[in-house]
Amino acid sequence: MTRDQVLQELTGRFSEAILALWDVSPKRVYVDIDPAALVGVSTLLFRELGARFCTASGVDTRSAVEILYHYILEPINLMVSVRVSLDRKAPLVDSLTGLFAAADFIEREIHELLGVNFRGHETPRRLLLPEQWPDDVQPLRRDYAEWDPNAVRDRGVR
Amino acid sequence: MSFRLNALLRSPWLFHLSTGSCNNCDIEVLDCLTPRFDVERFGMVLTGSIKHADVLLVTGSCNRQSAERLRRLYEQAPKPCVVVAIGECSLSRGMFVESYNCPVPIDHVVPVDVYIPGCPPKPEAVIAGVVKLMAKVREATKKGRGKAPEEVATA
Amino acid sequence: MIYPVYLLVFGVVLTGVLGLAAGWVDRKVTARVHYRVGPPLLQPWYDLMKLAGKETLIPAGASVGTFLGAPLFGLAAVTVVATVLWVNALFPAQGFLGDWVVVIYLLLIPPVAIIVGGSASHNPLASQGVGREMQVLLAYELPFLAVAVVPVIKAGGSIRLHEILAVQAETGAFARSPSGVIALIVAVVCIQAKLALVPFDVSEAETELAGGTLIEYSGPALGLFRLTKHMLFVTLPLLVIVLFLGGITLTGPGIALAVLKYVLLLAVITVIRNTNPRLRTDQTVRLFWGPVTLLAAAAVILALAGY
Repeated sequence: MTRDQVLQELTGRFSEAILALWDVSPKRVYVDIDPAALVGVSTLLFRELGARFCTASGVDTRSAVEILYHYILEPINLMVSVRVSLDRKAPLVDSLTGLFAAADFIEREIHELLGVNFRGHETPRRLLLPEQWPDDVQPLRRDYAEWDPNAVRDRGVR
Repeated sequence: MSFRLNALLRSPWLFHLSTGSCNNCDIEVLDCLTPRFDVERFGMVLTGSIKHADVLLVTGSCNRQSAERLRRLYEQAPKPCVVVAIGECSLSRGMFVESYNCPVPIDHVVPVDVYIPGCPPKPEAVIAGVVKLMAKVREATKKGRGKAPEEVATA
Repeated sequence: MIYPVYLLVFGVVLTGVLGLAAGWVDRKVTARVHYRVGPPLLQPWYDLMKLAGKETLIPAGASVGTFLGAPLFGLAAVTVVATVLWVNALFPAQGFLGDWVVVIYLLLIPPVAIIVGGSASHNPLASQGVGREMQVLLAYELPFLAVAVVPVIKAGGSIRLHEILAVQAETGAFARSPSGVIALIVAVVCIQAKLALVPFDVSEAETELAGGTLIEYSGPALGLFRLTKHMLFVTLPLLVIVLFLGGITLTGPGIALAVLKYVLLLAVITVIRNTNPRLRTDQTVRLFWGPVTLLAAAAVILALAGY
């Protein structure tokens, strides 16, 4: 399957769900989609086109919480990054653990660091943060504030 | 100079611990132990167990989970034990001063005797730091006979 | 009874001093092979003195008496063996009947002391090390016992070291005969394993087991284990010299020959140590219970046949 065929397939099947397509370079494509269509797009990429799921990255921009899912089609050397923008107050999106098990850990990490809830994720436990970390504090949010009274934030140089 | 301390300085056994570093400092420490710099001529040997260690080499900006482990390891090292902090991250957390996961620098967790700056410090710098420590301890014990080695060393 | 004097002078002092020197030789030669400088002469002594000045930490849940008694146990055994060997080598008439049996038996104790100490440590890594040590011990004891019988056979069935030496003084060292040569080779391989040196040091693999059996030992207790190992550096080659190479005499030109024998054995051990990788436990067991035991059996059969 060539690059153009992949993009045609994608835009053909999910024409209503795709909000924007950024064809930035021969190797990179960014696709902004409606969160409701996430599972459909992922199934297309993972199951039918045979892409490999690399990772997911999340960021808190001031207007929304965005998650990018990066899929790579190695035979044609193309990385497709699928972006969903979620409401900052209550970010909720479908979990991809039904499709592939690799989504388990990365969704737990995004959940504890950015506060995104994944519908259908069975064990949303803490992954990286230490046990004594308070539950409702998400460090990678823009509005994260120092909660620890014992933290020392100077360099000790007078 | 006190006999115990003299023997300790002639045969310091090292235990290396990374409390969450990028591993560059760990690579430089490893370089120090290779035949090119040959620290065995000072009697230094890398040990596998903290109970055999006289010198605790710490790298990395201590994150919340490592702080507990570092404290526990320091308590398990039989005294007298010297702590050496290697690299910017272990001195003051370097660029991670505002990080959410690194609340305190290492010297709030264990008492540090030598600080070796650098990002990462060259093996020559590490060796120079350890040699300065030995000179400092010898000098200090000349002035302070009868005190415990750790008190004198951190004075 | 002048045995206490012998114990102190030969067993403790002489063996201790020579052992520390032999340990230094081993480290220095290894350093030179790595093209680096290596530690100064008194380094093993500094190590011991430093360990004497550190505190001994006893892990919670360890059985204290066994934990602290194990190194003493091993050291006591090595001291007695060293005394018996030195006495037989220097004052042959002062040995006793059955001292061959005593020596071979007591040489089992230092590894057992490490096993007991490791088991008393209440630490899973130490238990791993203990398991490996036990397997290696079983592996090398078999051929070692077999070749230790060869000098007894050749000396006409006597289990007195004095008579083994006397027969060698008359007919030449046992290493000159075919069975003696094979037995010597097997014995050298076995003492490499007894000393827990590469290629057979899987039980002391620091990088794999964070210190292995001795992980919880610190301070003077650790110093005693290290002293035991250094004393074995003298005792085991001395045993091989007494059994196969005609013993040592410290009078006249015999001194040079004695020194040469010991230095040669030490050199062989160090060279094997520096030119080989470490064998896994199963490889060690397969090596010792396979080719090495066959060689030992061949040596025994040849000795029985009179060669």
